[in-house]
Amino acid sequence: MEDHLGRLRSRASLVTGALALLLVGVVARAQAPSATARTGLSLAAAAAKAWAPDAELVYLENDEPLDAAGRSPRWGYLFRSATLGRSRVWSVRDGRIVTAENLELRFDAPPLPTGWLDSDAVLAAAEKAAAQAAKREPRGRLSTMLLMRGAGSESDHDVTTWTFVYGTSGSGAFHVVVDAATGRVQRTWRG
Amino acid sequence: MNRYPLRLLFAVTLVLTATSARAQAPRSAPVEVSSARPAREMPPTLRYLKANADFLRTRFELFAPSSRVQGSAAQPVDPRFLSYRGLLADIAAAKDSVAASAEARERQALFTSVTDLAQLERELDQMERVLAAQQTRLATLHTDFSGRQRTELTVLLAGGALAGRVDSVVVTLEDGTGVVTGLDDTQRRSIKVGGLLEVYRGLIEPREQVVEVRFIGEGWSAVASGFVRIAPARDRVTFVKLDLSQAAPARGMASVSAGTWHSDAPAPARASADADQARP
Repeated sequence: MEDHLGRLRSRASLVTGALALLLVGVVARAQAPSATARTGLSLAAAAAKAWAPDAELVYLENDEPLDAAGRSPRWGYLFRSATLGRSRVWSVRDGRIVTAENLELRFDAPPLPTGWLDSDAVLAAAEKAAAQAAKREPRGRLSTMLLMRGAGSESDHDVTTWTFVYGTSGSGAFHVVVDAATGRVQRTWRG
Repeated sequence: MNRYPLRLLFAVTLVLTATSARAQAPRSAPVEVSSARPAREMPPTLRYLKANADFLRTRFELFAPSSRVQGSAAQPVDPRFLSYRGLLADIAAAKDSVAASAEARERQALFTSVTDLAQLERELDQMERVLAAQQTRLATLHTDFSGRQRTELTVLLAGGALAGRVDSVVVTLEDGTGVVTGLDDTQRRSIKVGGLLEVYRGLIEPREQVVEVRFIGEGWSAVASGFVRIAPARDRVTFVKLDLSQAAPARGMASVSAGTWHSDAPAPARASADADQARP
């Protein structure tokens, strides 16, 4: 009888321990600090250097939800190597690379220059433009911030821009394009 | 001349060096060599890009020519690299003069007079000057490159297997890159009596990952790969030592014991001519 009780007790302790560990893991995951886009760049760049000496940053976007200050717990950095003819992404969360994978689809974006404004610095301009648009129709919540070159501006095709996507991506999403060097809004559109 | 004191000094230096190295040897943490690749959760990334790749691609492809021209602009050459050519020329010239002196000395069968001894002394002085100049060049290179440590992995092999014969080792990283290193009889004997053989050295991504190891050779070719989980620290050298002393093909890769450790922390990085945000 005592043996049986002892076994039950030890099982109960094991289950309690496992639950506690699970809870700690969940809380730790939930509390991963948010950071601006530039925070994890040097770590991703170090990984890219190991992958290919000529790797260059061509694109980045938030991998987890953004907060009101333009920060996210996780950002994805896409690098391209001209010599390998391939692209590889590193996703950085809380100072650690949590995902590393080759991008299987073709995406030969031009390299980004170094002097771009960080995600928190450009958010205010986008929010202002989005707020003005919201007077006419609902804009939705900011879901994505992405940085790339040559894709967002109609006036200067070589400029590097931040694109803010409000609402779910698709036909109803509202987009704000901001010059990543000056922080000025280039254009807005829905689609 | 009696060379015995010199030999004794050399032997004592070797012993002291070995003792010092042993005293400073880092502590290795044991790691498991598993027969199956450990599963690892990787959260999704670049979801917007993957969902809208066609749209984004059409945007920058429209304007690609101007982007490419700017992207491929020539970069200035670091002047330090130009100065290394001068260093190499100095080394070559110094080698030539030392070689010429050595040849002249070999032609003389005996030293018959005090004049010859003076000549020998001058030659020794010249060698000392060459060594001093070499030290200066090494110091220059050290100044230029210390603090530029990158994240590296070194895999070492130790011990002789209980059964079978390892002819080569295949090390493969997660990104698919890897090397095959062959072992000859001398190397096999050396690692059996305590030597270490470097079977892989290269850059590695600073993140937790799994390294695949496979042995090829009598008895080992049929054994499936082993997997070692490592977490290379950024800007440090991560060492993985594979010890074969208890390994046998019949017991699989799990019979290989492994340990890992990191090099000392690097010196604070200096600003360098080619460092920037995208390519530090």
